[in-house]
Parts: sequence; structure tokens; C-alpha cells
Amino acid sequence: MDYLLHILILIGIYVILSLSLNLIAGYTGILSIAHAAFYGVGAYVAALMALKLGTPFLANVICAIILSGLLGALVGIPSLRIRDDYFVIATFAFQVITFSVLNNWVSFTSGPMGLPGIPQPRIFGLQVSSHWQFLVLVGICAILVFLAARRIVESPFGRVLKAIREDEVFALAAGKNVAAYKVLVFVIGAAMASVAGALYATYITFIDPTSFTVMESIFIISIVIIGGAGNLWGSVLGAAVLVILPEALRFVGLPSSVAANVRQIIYGALLVAFMMWRPQGFIGEYTFRKGDQG
Amino acid sequence: MSQLIANALITAAIIALVAVGFQLIFQTARFFHFAHGVIITCGAYCAYWLTREGTPFTAALILSVLFCAALGSAIWVFTYRPLQARGAGPTILLLASLGSYIVIQNVISLWFGNDTKTIRQGVVHEGLEILGARITPVQALTMLTSAVLIVGLHFFLQKTRIGNAMRAVANDPELAMISGIDSNRVFIGTFAIGSALAGVAGILMALDIDMNPQMGMNALLMGVVAVIIGGVNSIPGVALGALLLGMAQNFGVWKISSQWQDAIAFIILLAFLLFRPQGFMGKKVKKATI
Repeated sequence: MDYLLHILILIGIYVILSLSLNLIAGYTGILSIAHAAFYGVGAYVAALMALKLGTPFLANVICAIILSGLLGALVGIPSLRIRDDYFVIATFAFQVITFSVLNNWVSFTSGPMGLPGIPQPRIFGLQVSSHWQFLVLVGICAILVFLAARRIVESPFGRVLKAIREDEVFALAAGKNVAAYKVLVFVIGAAMASVAGALYATYITFIDPTSFTVMESIFIISIVIIGGAGNLWGSVLGAAVLVILPEALRFVGLPSSVAANVRQIIYGALLVAFMMWRPQGFIGEYTFRKGDQG
Repeated sequence: MSQLIANALITAAIIALVAVGFQLIFQTARFFHFAHGVIITCGAYCAYWLTREGTPFTAALILSVLFCAALGSAIWVFTYRPLQARGAGPTILLLASLGSYIVIQNVISLWFGNDTKTIRQGVVHEGLEILGARITPVQALTMLTSAVLIVGLHFFLQKTRIGNAMRAVANDPELAMISGIDSNRVFIGTFAIGSALAGVAGILMALDIDMNPQMGMNALLMGVVAVIIGGVNSIPGVALGALLLGMAQNFGVWKISSQWQDAIAFIILLAFLLFRPQGFMGKKVKKATI
């Protein structure tokens, strides 16, 4: 039963991550390989504050959101000057730089040795430590993020995002401050991802930089695309499928030493396959093809 | 000091080799072929496997390079070409190349394990001393091979018929087709040559600092940085870019700890992307906005 709860908690965390990246990539059309950086910053801020300052969970999350949001703005600003695929490389750069900082600023982040013994959340006097309690916490956060995302995409703000995705020049011509929208969506996406980071850190109670690498970023964008870019339920579906599928292999007798590799092969192959035969993913609306109306 | 220069040149040599291969493919195919990174790894592992199976060393190296050429072309034929036929843009191709990279790297991990392997032969020598710097024979070979191959490629593209065909397709695919150039063959040739260069780079890296399944990604990212800062259409530019990176990384560790090498390289990349996107030698291209 604990195992099942663990899977559900992971799905919840990845739902938050993929919803937030979907806003950037699926709704605004900006492919970003930097998302694990926001995730990691959220995790590290929450963990460091809990460990070194002893501040309560909610305060840590708020700080994580602020710092990650700032990083989001930093990543979003170059998108105004750098176009399309070169910007993807730029997001790569931000991802690697962030990882470098987490991994090498040993005096602050303990580098590769990681941060063990992260205190579990205590919210309004309630201690969250059992799997059930974490599931409730993660579930609530995931639902809140989903509702927020839905509010955003169904609002005028969301319509402008989609306009930018479909034809940026047209949006500019219509008088929209495209620059501001792009930076804002990065800030929002980063802030949401940091919440996932804080949840992850306090759930596993140990984090190290290897959870927040380029590969993790690629995994998150894979979820968004396979689930369906431009469709919020697609992110939920994608997270569920990509978390459950490799786990299901365990029951087919796959030794755990190869499980990590097989898991990556699965989602790498799925990514190629979907690009080939169904670029909109399961239920997506956007296919990263310029001028495609889905 | 001269040791720093020597180290910078050695680093630059590998980066340049990876970069020109990547650039060749990027010029023609017009998207970021990230799987190039895993071809580097394949070169090293193929050599490892062949030597373990008893193939003589030199033959193993040659076969590995040929295998890489074949693998690169195969990725084109089975993944990118069908996608392009369906009208896939550069972003979709980039995503497909990321997926391909992940699959192949993990196949290597599964087959050979994640630990570090070596294909070094014989005892580690102390290294020759040249102008006050210590270089091992492998490192000297690396620099020589890289220089020869890069210069060779440059002349190949400028002087030979096939090279000119490649440049034509890179420049204007439709016009090239109208002129009677078989673009399919050109693409296969481009991927083959680029991937072969990647294989050579992988083998040289493995000979110098051993190998693990992740070795390709880092080398590739450095190569991509070199291509962008050097100017995507110019081999001399890319060589210059690689040199800059080599120097920045090695001189950087003089003042800052060596773990920050990657971050330094990427900060340089961001600076170029923001302030001089055409690179050293590229021409400024105005984005058409209609």
C-alpha cells in the first residue's frame, strides 16, 4: 500500500511540474529545457531554509516561489532577443549553470553530498509525515496548481499566450506587450515548479543535485509533449503514464539495476515515436510546428 | 603558463573536432542534432568492444569510425528523413534527436554498464616535454588528428565536387535540387562524415581520459557552444570558438576551481547569444518579420 501511495505522490509532483511547463511550452509555444532548474531551486531553497533556519514549511515555500520566480524572469528575458531553437540552447545553458551552482557551491549547498535529514512539513500545527498525509498535501497542491493553470489559460492572459504561440508577430501587431507576457509566463511556471521542488525535498527528506539535471528537464518536457502540449489534462495524463509505465516493469521481473536505464529508454523512445506519429501527444493541441492550429 | 596553453589546445582540439562535425550537420539539416553527442560515445564504446573481442587495435579504431558514420546516417534515414517528409520543423527534429540520444545512451549503459572503462594500451607514460609543457603522446596525437581532419574537411568542402554539393544544399536546398544535386545522397554523406568525426573525437577522448556512457553529452554541449560562438557557417570561426572555450576553461581553472568549467562555457554562450548571435565570423542575418 505504501508503494502505491509513493507512486501517487510522485505522480502528483510531476503533475505540478508538467502543468507549469505546459504553460510555458504548450500554451506559449516556448520550448524550455530549464525546468529542472526551477524545480531544483525550489527544492534547495525549501530544504536549506528548513535545515538552517528552522522556518515553517509555508514560509519556505513562499521563499522558494519568490527565488524561483526570479530565476524564471532571468530565463524569460533572453527569450525576447534570442529566437526559437537558439533559445532552447539558451535554456539548456541556464539548466547547466544552475546545476553547476547547486553542485559546486559546496559551502552553501553541500554540493554532490546533498542535504540529508530535511524536516518534514508542519502546517498550521499539523505534522505531515506519513505517506497518506503527504498524499493529501501533494494532492491539494496539485489541485490548486491545476485550478490556477486553468484560470490562467481560460483568461484573457491565456488567450494572449496562445496568440503568441500561434503567431508572435501578429500578437505584437495587435498591440500586445509580448515581452511582458513571455517573462510573466516563465515566472509563473518557475514559481509552480518550485512548489513541486519543496514537496519533493520534504517528502524524500534528502536531495542532491543529481535529481535536477538536464535529463530531468528532458523528462519533464517529454511528459508535457507526450501527454499533450496545450492541454492541461494532457499534463495530468502524461505524468501518470510516464511515472507508472516504468514502475510497471518492476512487476514484469526487471531487475532494479537496469530499471533506471530502461525507464529512460522508454520515455526517449516514446518521445521519438510521438514526434513521428502523433506530435500532439495523447490529447494535446499544439505540435511545435509553426502555424499549426492543432 | 605554457602548460595552461598546452591544456587549452588539447581541450580545444577535441571540442573543435566535435564542433565541426556538428556544424556540418547543422548547416545542411538546419536543426540541432543532439544525438551527435551519443555518436561520440558510440565511437569510444565500439572501439572498446572490438578490442575486447580481439580485433587488432588499429583495425578496431577504423571500424569504430565507420560504425559511427553508419549509425549517424541511419538516424537520418530512419528518424529525421521521415519526420522531414511529414513537414516537421526544427523544434520537432530537435526533440526527436533528444529522444534518440536518450535511447542510445541508455542502451550503451545497459550493455556495458555505467562504470568507467578504458581502451588505453600499455603503460601510462610520463609524457613528452615540449616548450615547457608536458603532453602525453595521446594528447599530441589528439591535437594533430584534430588539426589534420579539420583542415582536411575545410578543403574538402571548398575544393571537391561532393564538398561543393554539400555546401550548395546547405545554402539553398531547393536551388541545389534544381541544379541536379541529389540532396538525399548529400544528407547521408553529411551525416556520415559528421558522425565519423564524432567517432574519432570519442576515441581520442577515451584514449586520453577513459570513458563512461555520459561522456558524449558534455563534449557535445561544448561543441554546440563553439559552433554558436564561432558562427554557424564558418569552419575557421568554429575552430576559433573552440580555442576560446579551451582557453576559457583552462585559464579559468587557474583562478576559479575546475568544477566551474561548464558554467563558464555556458555563460560565454549566453553572452554571445545575447550580444553577438552570429558568432565570430557569421554574417548578421536579419529575421524577416512578416
